Amino acid sequence: MAKKRLIFTLLYNDGGFVLSRNFRLQRVGNIEWLLKNYDFSKIAFSIDELIILDVTRGQRNVNRFCDHIKLISQGCFIPIAAGGGITSEDHAKAIMSSGADKLVVNTTLFRTPSFVKELISIYGSQCIIASIDVKQQNDQTDVFIDNGSVTLDMKFEDFIQHIIDLGVGELYLNSMDRDGTGHGYLFDPLGQLKSTMKVPIIIAGGAGNWHHLLEGLQHDMVDAAATANLFNFIGQGFPNARRELIKNGINLARWEPLNFSSLNNCLC
Amino acid sequence: MIVIIDYGMGNLFSIQSALHYLGAQSSISSDPQVIRNADKLILPGVGSFYKAMSNLKTAHLDEVVKEPVINKKTPILGICLGMQLLGSSSTEDGFSYGLGLIDSPVERFCENEFVNLKIPHVGFDTVTITKKNKLFDGLDSNADFYFTHSYRMAFADQPYAVGTCLHGERFIAAFEKEHICGTQFHPEKSQTTGLLLLKNFIEKF
Repeated sequence: MAKKRLIFTLLYNDGGFVLSRNFRLQRVGNIEWLLKNYDFSKIAFSIDELIILDVTRGQRNVNRFCDHIKLISQGCFIPIAAGGGITSEDHAKAIMSSGADKLVVNTTLFRTPSFVKELISIYGSQCIIASIDVKQQNDQTDVFIDNGSVTLDMKFEDFIQHIIDLGVGELYLNSMDRDGTGHGYLFDPLGQLKSTMKVPIIIAGGAGNWHHLLEGLQHDMVDAAATANLFNFIGQGFPNARRELIKNGINLARWEPLNFSSLNNCLC
Repeated sequence: MIVIIDYGMGNLFSIQSALHYLGAQSSISSDPQVIRNADKLILPGVGSFYKAMSNLKTAHLDEVVKEPVINKKTPILGICLGMQLLGSSSTEDGFSYGLGLIDSPVERFCENEFVNLKIPHVGFDTVTITKKNKLFDGLDSNADFYFTHSYRMAFADQPYAVGTCLHGERFIAAFEKEHICGTQFHPEKSQTTGLLLLKNFIEKF
């Protein structure tokens, strides 16, 4: 049984990194700001995975996005998933050749499921993360696509079944209601899923501190807890969070405690 | 020179940056001449077994890879799908033969109605080292590595299995048969623990 995972999600928008609150974006800084505040070769010891999403609302510049993935992934030896508006094999290939190990898809799950199947046949199920944006409305869970701007005319449970049938490897379940609020995760959508679901679930939207991450990881159906909060985990934020999670009984990975930089150029 | 075999599938960039970090020279290549003359080979792989084998065959790389491994005993490390390709066969996307450098078949995790097993098996998980070997030299006998896969090599009691992992059943997490090695997990994505394993492959084989 794999251990639970703590995931940091970076939201990339047109050359910069942003905070999202209920899907409204606020620019925080560029790559220099990000690398100054988050030394990924160090914080990679406190998180299990990195997800980088291109949430640019207009025309996306894929090459520029890929250059950013390359910069972030340098000296960061944990899995990286990336995506946002992937609509062609070339686009997927460019991301996979830039340091990403997995692809994240969202709107295309609904618009062009055949393309998702194509990606699965090339990269395998385990490589494809289905990101689903949900909102609670009138006691039910609605699914949104196109950066949260279009409601799907399909029941949440049916949509989940549809993407599981496609053969995706993981679900990234993001609550638009909680997105960027720091009020903690919303577990209601999980209640509508079969507890016997085989596909691993990443919960996202709402984590503002380590207590929220703990609540997420303590949930039976949750395999990984993600946060996209660029401010709350700066500095010692992630190391502290991880320590508290382990102290509270969450089974997280542990790595060789040697000084990372001692391995740098050790074979020269 | 360490050659990372490029057959159109895999996170080549990630593997090369890990080697680069360690200070090891490597090149990514699909050139038969370069592969034949390599000091060490790494067979990466992210994707489906069937597609990987057909890519290798189309480029005639299946024979090119086997030749130096068998004749010159060039050390090879298969990673994830690359490890599976070194096996005898797989049932992913229909039946296909592998490179057959070791005789383990690859099959999907057994689904069992009594155990709610998550498939794919994703995340860091503990590898138990089952016998003395070079690949895990200096590492803890229970070390965490990053996995992401739906198919696995069963029969963890094979003599060349050196590390096993439990996911509903014990499967082969790593094997070492003289100079032929494979890891189901991704050492290039497993922090210091993974870097140490790559360092062992480079230094001790």
